[in-house]
Amino acid sequence: MNPEGEITGLLTAWGKGDQNALNELMPLVYNELHRMARRAWSGQNQGHTLQPTALINEAYLKLAGSANASFQDRRHFFAVACTAMRQILVNHAKSRQTGKRGNGQFVLSLDEVQPAVNQEAAEVVALHEALERLQAIDERKSRVVEMRYFGGLSIEETAEALGVSVITVNRDWRLARTWLIREMGGGGS
Amino acid sequence: MSPQADWEEIERLFHAAIDLPVDERQALLASASAPVRAEVESLLKADGETFFAAPPAHLAADLVEHQPGALTAGQRIGKYEIESLITIGGMGEVYRAHDPSGIPVALKILRRHLVASPHAVARFETEARAASALHHPNIVTVLESGDSPAGMFIAMEWVEGRTFRETLNAGAVDAAQALDWARQAARALAAAHAAEILHRDIKPENIIIRPDGVLKVLDFGLARLAGPVRLEMNSRGASGTISGTLSGTLLYMSPEIFRGEVASSAADVFSLGALLYEMWTGQHPFAGETPLDVFEAIECRPVAAPSTLRAGIPPEIDALLLRMLDRDPALRPAADEVCGVLNRFSAKT
Repeated sequence: MNPEGEITGLLTAWGKGDQNALNELMPLVYNELHRMARRAWSGQNQGHTLQPTALINEAYLKLAGSANASFQDRRHFFAVACTAMRQILVNHAKSRQTGKRGNGQFVLSLDEVQPAVNQEAAEVVALHEALERLQAIDERKSRVVEMRYFGGLSIEETAEALGVSVITVNRDWRLARTWLIREMGGGGS
Repeated sequence: MSPQADWEEIERLFHAAIDLPVDERQALLASASAPVRAEVESLLKADGETFFAAPPAHLAADLVEHQPGALTAGQRIGKYEIESLITIGGMGEVYRAHDPSGIPVALKILRRHLVASPHAVARFETEARAASALHHPNIVTVLESGDSPAGMFIAMEWVEGRTFRETLNAGAVDAAQALDWARQAARALAAAHAAEILHRDIKPENIIIRPDGVLKVLDFGLARLAGPVRLEMNSRGASGTISGTLSGTLLYMSPEIFRGEVASSAADVFSLGALLYEMWTGQHPFAGETPLDVFEAIECRPVAAPSTLRAGIPPEIDALLLRMLDRDPALRPAADEVCGVLNRFSAKT
């Protein structure tokens, strides 16, 4: 089966309560998002910054945007895609932190500049770990943060994906952020 | 109360208290149990931080754009065709490429989103243009700089060889060879300074030795886009260690640069002095276990005369290296004076 059809099928199954479907879905979505991220680079229109949410939307349109994908499928897709995006970004942040330095003939002396990327990489890893602790206390709030921060979803999109009200997401987001900032030792500068 | 009930109570009180003036919060929290109250108070204190307010867009862009070998063989950047990836750095990549007539070049790609500020981008462009005006046998020639969808690029003369770092690591350099390389490096620096171009980051990694012994200095004017070097502690401030990227350069940095002063030609002379000292003696003048040791050494440890570390170093070289490493920039010789001393000594031997 092609990945599009497979993902749509798994989304439907998961929507009907099949938890195993999620386990099969996650690697597919992860790989697809990662592949799209790479392809976006080599494509013709190279945006200088690509928001995660743009990537997720594009993946959704491609994978589940077929005529028979339901509103339920869309909700579920966003839920899975945000988790996958979190994992992709955390993995990338970790590999960046431990990544090998250039060791070829030329060494970029431009390296001395500390780019914003390194700062975000550290932030992402610290947040990921704190978020795992929040998940143990309050699953939904951890999902709100995952969708807002890692998936780049708006408050409204998050509410739609979680099937709760905008007011609830607003309240969850505020408390969860505050809790995480406190957990991470007073937050950033 | 169960932990779940506590959590619900914490949540309720947090939202009730958050928009109240501080003195009214006390009254609201008075009825809560001590642990719940402590938790809510600690959360209220943390509210208002702007940390992770926005998705990690830089990291996402980096993920997309910074895949190893993001450019593949055959792709074009300007008039150059990519052959293979040479190295990946924090701000971009270096590729081997060739121009339409097949002449190989080193193509350095600078990813825009990895640069700290728009100011740095503007400076990069200015410096790249200035550096392309430098033509000297001991300086890697900048052929062209420009913009492409992949980011800004610099095309440089392709130099086959190994870095001076690799050369130093391979073992002691004999006296005649040391003198020859010192003269080549000093000539490069003197030529650049005569054209009013500073290097700002002289270190063994930025020098290439060709198999025929010709020395080439890389990246004139292109290093240190961020201006004065700042020490960035780990971004969460937890361990307070100095970030690894700085330490390689640290050893060749002059005391005035540490203090945040603007780079001058004397700072380049200092860096070259440290590098030549290491070549001649086999020991770095400011070696230390930790970056802080290195700081201290550069700022205040007396530099041992090279001849005390390795037999056979003549007094002229001893004196020259110590002057190049003088803590006072005004007392260091200019690059062309370094050339003159080395030339006179070379003619004598």
